[in-house]
Amino acid sequence: MADRAVFIQTPREFNPWPVVIFIALLVLATLFLAPTIGVLLSSIKTTKEISEGGLWNFPTHLFLGNFAEVLGNPAVHRYFLNTLLVTAPATIASIALGVLGGYVFSKLPFWGSNLLFLVIISGMFFPPQVILIPLFQFFNYLGLIDTLWPIIFIHTALGIPICTLLMRNFFATVPNTLREAAILEGANEFQILTRVALPLSLPALAVLATLQFTWIWNDFLWPLIFTQSDEKRTIMVGIVNLKGQYSVAWGVQGALSLIASLPTLVVFLFFQRYFIKGMTMGAVKG
Amino acid sequence: MEKSNWVWRVVFLAAPVAVFSLLVLWPLCSSFFYSFTNWNGFNPNYKFVGFDNYAKIITDRLFLNAIINTFIWMVSAILLPTLLGFGFALLIDSNVPGGKIFKSIFYLPICLSAVVVGQIWTWIYQPDWGLLNTLINFFLNESMNFAWLAKPDTSLGSVIVAWSWQQTGLSMVIYLAGLTSIPEELLEVCEIEGTSTWQKIRMVLVPLLTPATVVVIALSVINSLKGFDILYIMTGGGPFHSSDTLAMHMYNESFKKYLMGYGSAISVVLFLLALVIIRIYFRELKRIDEIYG
Amino acid sequence: MKHLISLQYFKIFLVSCLGFFCLSATTHASEVTISHYFSDEFGKENMGKVFDRFEAVTGFQMKESPVGHEDFKTDILVRGASDSLPDVFSYWAGARVQFVVDSGDLSPIDDMWADSGLDDVVAKAVADSATLYNGHRYLIPMQYHYSGMFYNKKVMADAGVTDMPTDWEGFMALCEKLKGMGIAPIALGSKFRWPAQFWFDYLILNTAGPEVRAAVMDGSAAYDSDEVMAAVGIWMDMVNNGYFVANANADTWTDASDKVANGEAAMTLMGTWITGYWNGNGLTPGEDYDFFPFPTINPDAPVSVVGPIDGLVISANVQNKEGAEAFLSFFVSDVDNQIEWTNAVGAVSANVNVDPSVYNDLIQRVITTVDGASNFAFNYDLATPPPVAEVGLSMFQELMENPDDYGAILSRAQDSAQSAFSE
Repeated sequence: MADRAVFIQTPREFNPWPVVIFIALLVLATLFLAPTIGVLLSSIKTTKEISEGGLWNFPTHLFLGNFAEVLGNPAVHRYFLNTLLVTAPATIASIALGVLGGYVFSKLPFWGSNLLFLVIISGMFFPPQVILIPLFQFFNYLGLIDTLWPIIFIHTALGIPICTLLMRNFFATVPNTLREAAILEGANEFQILTRVALPLSLPALAVLATLQFTWIWNDFLWPLIFTQSDEKRTIMVGIVNLKGQYSVAWGVQGALSLIASLPTLVVFLFFQRYFIKGMTMGAVKG
Repeated sequence: MEKSNWVWRVVFLAAPVAVFSLLVLWPLCSSFFYSFTNWNGFNPNYKFVGFDNYAKIITDRLFLNAIINTFIWMVSAILLPTLLGFGFALLIDSNVPGGKIFKSIFYLPICLSAVVVGQIWTWIYQPDWGLLNTLINFFLNESMNFAWLAKPDTSLGSVIVAWSWQQTGLSMVIYLAGLTSIPEELLEVCEIEGTSTWQKIRMVLVPLLTPATVVVIALSVINSLKGFDILYIMTGGGPFHSSDTLAMHMYNESFKKYLMGYGSAISVVLFLLALVIIRIYFRELKRIDEIYG
Repeated sequence: MKHLISLQYFKIFLVSCLGFFCLSATTHASEVTISHYFSDEFGKENMGKVFDRFEAVTGFQMKESPVGHEDFKTDILVRGASDSLPDVFSYWAGARVQFVVDSGDLSPIDDMWADSGLDDVVAKAVADSATLYNGHRYLIPMQYHYSGMFYNKKVMADAGVTDMPTDWEGFMALCEKLKGMGIAPIALGSKFRWPAQFWFDYLILNTAGPEVRAAVMDGSAAYDSDEVMAAVGIWMDMVNNGYFVANANADTWTDASDKVANGEAAMTLMGTWITGYWNGNGLTPGEDYDFFPFPTINPDAPVSVVGPIDGLVISANVQNKEGAEAFLSFFVSDVDNQIEWTNAVGAVSANVNVDPSVYNDLIQRVITTVDGASNFAFNYDLATPPPVAEVGLSMFQELMENPDDYGAILSRAQDSAQSAFSE
């Protein structure tokens, strides 16, 4: 990060701002971390401890049984694998389709393309329960219930609006002169997309990859309804199902969800350096 | 030239439009269809009831309640994470030591599943030993046992706070990215001219961050609808519907009362409202484009 | 008409695209599919044991799909809407099964019932109330639960109470005494609404009697009728007297149970599943906690007990009818299976051949209480149709929040209930 001291007034005098900002951030970070620490606390306590003494005190001894139970459970390994098998292809497919759509809407607009774009964007705005039953009937008819396919397809479809929107906005910042120059050199639209527009769009792709991965990873409605046997379940369904009609399992739930959040965190840490460049591009135009 | 463009349009749009129509638009149409029936979900022998379900919406006291709550939810679920994210981004961007660590801390909540976030915030709001009341009592030396989630006046607001906690990191990351793109020279000019910090934010940073804001708002709007999960876990729309949103109301009517026809009518209305919101969003977007484009 | 038009074309298109990807397993001839809501570790483990026993005896294979119980309702509805219900699924006897029966989504089991001689197996009271819908048998009871006043023995002993009250005056005196000692007499966790229903049920049953209560449940009597007003009035007086914990709407049923176990509150009106929860947390029945039946208010009202019955039903689109019927028959008739299952989930068997001595002392006294009652009633949300139950459940929360407004709350609930009944 470049040295841009936004708050520094005059460099020679004593400047209290960095200290104030640091302390403010420290306080905010503590506040922000508190709920996460709550999850951590719940994961190192037994359900009995929580029901007796509440959550917000530190345990007298570290109880790692919840983690042992989660990590040692072969079903959990399968849940992880299934979640990855759903999340990775759906993330890639939805971004790919969004790239195609976004490119047309920004670089090859046509009569009615704005209306079509509006219709697609409107797909972001309804609660997914609205289409639950028709989609179940449809995939049931195809005999694909209790496989991972419906979940992959549905997440791909549901990701199209946001991916199209972001890619369209991003492609709009790619100068038209670049495209025209490529055309003069004899490139077709597909070559322009893959060799000119996409290399400039890595940041937008990184943002989308992070978002889509996180959302799909953390979803439980679709896998819950569209899979039935334990071998096809995903990690979020595993977390939801831990709670019984007449029982609670806070400790195991906490441990499992901490472990389940690691992949999304890793994805973020991996992709975040591209985020920065992304907005640089956007601002060239802005 | 124009002819070959059409070929590419068709080639590029075929897959996204096909998948989207098949798996989103078409199911939405069937929802439209069911909104004219008295289907209960189980029974294949449903009847057509014309506009009865839509007529019922007008007299449904809970529907009005849900509209108001949805409005509150949307506005605050967009404003709070956006403003907080902007503020955090400014603070972190000031080259403070440990900026990367702070950034990760603020982003962390997004990675956690709604089920556990809902449970933890329930424990924060717990009246007797919850973190919030404990802190209030510690600092103000009181003995309060206010039940934040169980009182109709505070239930929705309490969930919005939990929601904002989870979403702020996303806005922050995008604003941070936007901030790095602001040209050095501009800020140096500000310094020489002796502009105050507040003026600098208002006159320079906010306008230059417009592209980031467009993305942040779009994501907040989409996300605020995904907020169903956390609301469902923390209050389930309660106590007595005080935190019902349209999505929750639709879910209750369709899946708890088994009034699929009526629930479908609600989702049609929800969809129409969404179209209006998108129109507004795009009109603003166009205006912004004209000013800064 | 259920599948929208032109599905055919999409199918041809998509199947040809996906043909070789398709992982969908073909159903085995001897396989029986089952969905159930015993989805937690403990429930799954015990269900697994049932399957093992059944498979060893009959050679059928059970293929299970456990779903957490709130999502279970959605899951069954979605699959019912697509005619792809599992062969067998667990469901709550009473109005909920009635609703699915009326929609034509269940297979009657009259033949199986007769062939297996279930008349001599299932307790008559349960058989009459839980298995018959529109004149046909549809359900076998997995077990039943009983709802009573569960209390912390130590708290009561500290208060000098050894004999638990049987009448209302005694009960009120007990509450007053506990309150005077600074202990919340009654814990209630109505955050997710349903725990409050037992108060509504017992108060109406013990003042106006089962007939009036049944009339309220089927819509022929009003929520703002004098009888209901009077019963709810008693409840609201208790709330105003401070007999309930503060902030009942903030607690779940386990929070309320914890308060009793920790001695912050003395008792809670809850189902026998609380014994499973407490035993799991290391409490001993009869030693740390015990129960007493809901006290008598009107000596002329017949003695009623309230509780849910979990049942197994067979769907109308059953693939393996023979296997499904064999499983239902096995589940309820096999005595060893009933003993193991009911003991594991902290419930009571409806099988008359199960000797009560297989249960602990507390559950044995539950059985005596239930046998001594002249009426077994399903709790509110299983006794009235689902659209109406939603209205009432929210009403309970509102009553706990605004006890003084109960007249207006009941009138409003009556309006909503009336329109829900007419759906």
